[in-house]
Amino acid sequence: MMIAIYILIGISLLFAFAGVVGMLRMPDSYSRMQSSTNIATLGVLGVIIGGILYSACILKDANMAIKLGVMGVFYIVTAPISGHAIAKAAYAHGIKPCENTVCDQLKEDLEDEA
Amino acid sequence: MKKAKFPAFLVTCLICFVFWLLITGEISGLFDGIDSGDIEILVAGAAVSILAALFSARFFIHEKAFYLLNPRRFFCLLLYCLIIFPWELIKANVDMACRAFAPKKNLKPGIVKIPSALTSEYGLSMLANSITLTPGTITMDIVEENGKNWYYIHWINAAEQDAEKAGAAIKGTMEKWIRRIWE
Repeated sequence: MMIAIYILIGISLLFAFAGVVGMLRMPDSYSRMQSSTNIATLGVLGVIIGGILYSACILKDANMAIKLGVMGVFYIVTAPISGHAIAKAAYAHGIKPCENTVCDQLKEDLEDEA
Repeated sequence: MKKAKFPAFLVTCLICFVFWLLITGEISGLFDGIDSGDIEILVAGAAVSILAALFSARFFIHEKAFYLLNPRRFFCLLLYCLIIFPWELIKANVDMACRAFAPKKNLKPGIVKIPSALTSEYGLSMLANSITLTPGTITMDIVEENGKNWYYIHWINAAEQDAEKAGAAIKGTMEKWIRRIWE
């Protein structure tokens, strides 16, 4: 059982590392946000599922496992809302996408309205 | 601001109370038998959930309150949350991790506009959140034009710029399942 927990937490660390590397290498802030979603999803969920298994099977503490599960649910429900708000605010503030951006249909539509 | 109806209040109150039970750890206390300490916690939880529901029911539930009690919809919701969505999440995570580690940056970012066939508020926001949670796509805005809802999506690999094809590539199987849950 311990091995399964180590594997889960190891996988989530790998994805968190990939997210950090992506954040440092991506060209503009929108692409960096895409990469940080890596950390926010599998990076966190792997640790939480590993924690649930650890508290349920090794510590035999049902309450801790349930609390971790509730934490995971709240995390998954609330994380995208902040991502959405940050992306929209960055765009409204005038931060430009990088040069090799293929298309920007939001800008075209905003110009049509103006 | 529209006033909350009683079923909406009841459902909000129940959900608050269930989360109170889960977070205080009272749910396992209930199985070992109830003593006076348990009763105190339960009464406090009931009072707090009634108070919270009084204020928040009208934001929390806009449509039919007992909508998800239909067993087929509930089963679809469970299946979506436990199998369909995690699978999409893992696929996108692996793809994004490969892009982060790739020696040559093969990025074609773009903001595309995709249509959605969903009409219910919950379905729309659930699909938007699912898209944002998938690495590689972020929902930037939702607009309604001519009775149809459109998402603006920042896509890290904008292979398609045509609305329908890009929509099919981004939404994958998710939209079909969300439509089964909410419509």
